[in-house]
Amino acid sequence: MAHRWGMAIDLDRCTGCEACVVACHAENNIPISTPEQAATGRTTHWLRVDRYYEGDFPDVKVKYMPVLCQQCDEAPCEPVCPTYATYHNPEGLNVQVYNRCVGTFYCANNCPYTVRYFNWFDPVWPEPMQLQHNPDVAVRMAGVMEKCTFCIQRIKRGKDESAASGQELADGDIQPACVQGCPAEAMVFGDLNDPESKVSRMAESSRATRLLEELGTKPKVFYLERGR
Amino acid sequence: MERRSFFKILGASTAGAVATGCGSNTDALIPLLVPEHNIPIGEERWYPAVCTECSAGCGTLVRVMGAERVIEVKGEQVRQRVAAVKKIEGNPLDPISGGRLCARGQAVVQALYHPDRLRGAVKRNGDRGKASFAAVPWAEAVAGVADKIRTADPSRIVFLTGPNAGSRSAAVQGFLKAIKAPAASVCSLTDFAVERKAAEVALGWSGLPVYDVANATHVLGIGADFLGGWESPVYYARQFGHFRQGRVGMRGTLFQAESRFSTTATSADRWLPLTPGSEPQFIAAVARILIDAKLAPIVAGLPAAVATAFRTADVAANLKACGQDEKRTRSIILEFGASHAPLVIGGASAVHTNSVDAVIASHYLNLMLGNVGKPGGVLAPAANAVSVESSALAGRLANAQVILIDGTNPAYLLPKSSGVLDALNKAEMVVSFAPVVDDSAAYADFILPDHHALESTVAVSALVSDRTAMAVAEPFVEPLYETQAVEKTLADISGKLGDSYTAPTAADLVKPLLKGDATYAEVTREGGIWLVPDAKPVAAKPGKDAALSVAKFEGDAGQFPLYFQPYLSVQFHDGSSSHLPWLQELPDPVSSAIWGLPVEIDNATAAKLGISEGDLVRIESAHGAIEAAAFIHPAAIPGVVSMGIGGGHTHFSRYGSGYGVNALSILGPSAEASTGAMATGATRVKLTRVSDDGKLIQFSATKSENRGAHR
Repeated sequence: MAHRWGMAIDLDRCTGCEACVVACHAENNIPISTPEQAATGRTTHWLRVDRYYEGDFPDVKVKYMPVLCQQCDEAPCEPVCPTYATYHNPEGLNVQVYNRCVGTFYCANNCPYTVRYFNWFDPVWPEPMQLQHNPDVAVRMAGVMEKCTFCIQRIKRGKDESAASGQELADGDIQPACVQGCPAEAMVFGDLNDPESKVSRMAESSRATRLLEELGTKPKVFYLERGR
Repeated sequence: MERRSFFKILGASTAGAVATGCGSNTDALIPLLVPEHNIPIGEERWYPAVCTECSAGCGTLVRVMGAERVIEVKGEQVRQRVAAVKKIEGNPLDPISGGRLCARGQAVVQALYHPDRLRGAVKRNGDRGKASFAAVPWAEAVAGVADKIRTADPSRIVFLTGPNAGSRSAAVQGFLKAIKAPAASVCSLTDFAVERKAAEVALGWSGLPVYDVANATHVLGIGADFLGGWESPVYYARQFGHFRQGRVGMRGTLFQAESRFSTTATSADRWLPLTPGSEPQFIAAVARILIDAKLAPIVAGLPAAVATAFRTADVAANLKACGQDEKRTRSIILEFGASHAPLVIGGASAVHTNSVDAVIASHYLNLMLGNVGKPGGVLAPAANAVSVESSALAGRLANAQVILIDGTNPAYLLPKSSGVLDALNKAEMVVSFAPVVDDSAAYADFILPDHHALESTVAVSALVSDRTAMAVAEPFVEPLYETQAVEKTLADISGKLGDSYTAPTAADLVKPLLKGDATYAEVTREGGIWLVPDAKPVAAKPGKDAALSVAKFEGDAGQFPLYFQPYLSVQFHDGSSSHLPWLQELPDPVSSAIWGLPVEIDNATAAKLGISEGDLVRIESAHGAIEAAAFIHPAAIPGVVSMGIGGGHTHFSRYGSGYGVNALSILGPSAEASTGAMATGATRVKLTRVSDDGKLIQFSATKSENRGAHR
């Protein structure tokens, strides 16, 4: 049976430490913005941690919510792309093909989660910072849209290694960088087609919700509520 | 990388001077095409390493692949194949990191490949503090330093180090002994001197107590931001995850009493916003509530003076002094006390003049609750726990003839009122070992840049651990530039002086810990040595100290009406990570600010002073003033102004210089008396609105989840 990749994020464990954000930058060659670019909203974070204050002093609470591409099954970004740069792959991922993208912005306009980022500039990595680049991930040029891929390169490497060794992929063998780094183990990744996988069980939790579910986008990222 | 795959790698890797990684199919296919030290294109190797970004001592795993860099050879640009670090993760074998890592630990690779790293030794050729340097041969630099040390009065040589304990500090102490200079002084906000002293007094323990959060049912944090910038953030975050949702049918409940809405407070179920410095009074009230409700069974075990102080505490008056509503607090404390496994975590994330009293009292609460030495309670540190000598620096610095600086940045960390800049200007020679010119290195006569930790042999003992835990690594990438490990530089200097000394190396530190026929090579292959906890845990020996003193503050309350609390930020810690661009653009968890941190002001104070979000605000103490953008914080305590540490470096590379302001610079010279720890929370300030242009850059300005509020 084909895989159907999904993620569950337990907000009761999340401490808002943002280890996931740096993990994502390190893994995916995310461009570095200058302060001038940042001031005009040109910073790129495929994964961000939204922080919401709730309640009145002193009973204030904070809700941290790591938000990344929700890899929707009914993704609003997909049908609007005139060049098929964004499409749905057989394992349920919303895939972005950089060299098809001509930068129409339609996909970003249509994404209710605002998780797509446009390369307004060619990225700059002063020598020798480029040594850190992950060769498994393409560096994107100006004019191209980008977003979280669920670390598709890790999925591919995991499947290749499994094929080479003849060992079947086990639950947890593949972890996107954010999931791997999370100190509180708030993030879990796996196959939603495997009912025994940890992510499937968490998705079934009474605490599980999905972002803007009412829009009918059918996201594959599940958030487990805080506080119970 | 998880345990399973790591063991696969262990099967093939070996360690050496420059360790070699695992073999691969590709090696066998094209052995003749690829030089031995290079890694075939597309292949990855994983090596264990040690994170030295803070003093926690996390073991890491590093992904290394082949890469190319451009270097100049005889005036021509040529491409060179090198083994390059691609990613840093936690080492699953290490009980501290457990395979996980914080934001700073993962960003360290940018320090390795920082474009502003020094390429070799340099000598000052301009005024002190201006960071004007010219390259100089290593031999000349070493001779220059040795000549000065030869003629200097050894008692006036001051060696400043960071808090990390391990092979580096052993080498520094050996060097100082050889030149007959006094022991090194730790210059750090993160040596946790207050917490060490309190454990020694209250429990008779040497080292930092270990809080078994994972097995507690209710945790009451008092002044300890254990999920933020406190002792061992990754270790405690891992425990917290388990505490919350790792046990079937049991969710841990966290109450946090603190004078700032810290990372830990944001994760708490209930937050008790304490008046700064009122922790001892709060703890006495908590003790009295627990005693009255018969929820603290072991009062008899306490020293008599403590028991009396707790039994006679005036709950209403104490809670009023702490700014607490009595009814709300009572209900929280009663729920806490009645729980199956209650645990108090006392700390001094903001150090006050009475912080040692507060943390000692917190230990007595745990003794009263009967959880010391038990699962879900307070565990004794490992027998060989690191002890860090602390001393009042200001006096030694003022009189210093030669100042050597490694792993710390006194010009940034010490407030102007300490006289640190005068001392750096006045000293006859300042020597820095910084890899990148920072605020202090800007004053140096010579900079003898250290290798990056990933290019060095490193052994670091875990800061918080109930078992002997030391992360150990041999280098696996060649040094990029003509830098030199400080251990070697010190040996060279002392060699020039005709002195010789032997300092324990990483291997020497590991040797006494080896069991059976285990070898150092095996330890470096796994990334460290972690022994099982001692079967007979160290018993607590309660002391007799029970002062519950009142905190003192710098500045007249009439003229400077607000409390000021600089804090260790998630992204920059004590400012030592501010030169890494990933961290500069990491949205601040409090304000979502990037490239500069704002000052956090409560709604009422902001309204009174006519301050709006993003305004430029002047923060003035009796010892100086800074100007920063305002962030109106929905959970700031009225009258308490906070600010993350990390901005305002005068010199710290292209990514770290000039963004934000240094909150520490305006502090008064107050210290906690028994430890000499800088009292970071003991200064009063006043605020004035300057303009509407604070240049606050936020990744997201949204504070509420309400629909329509999003960007």
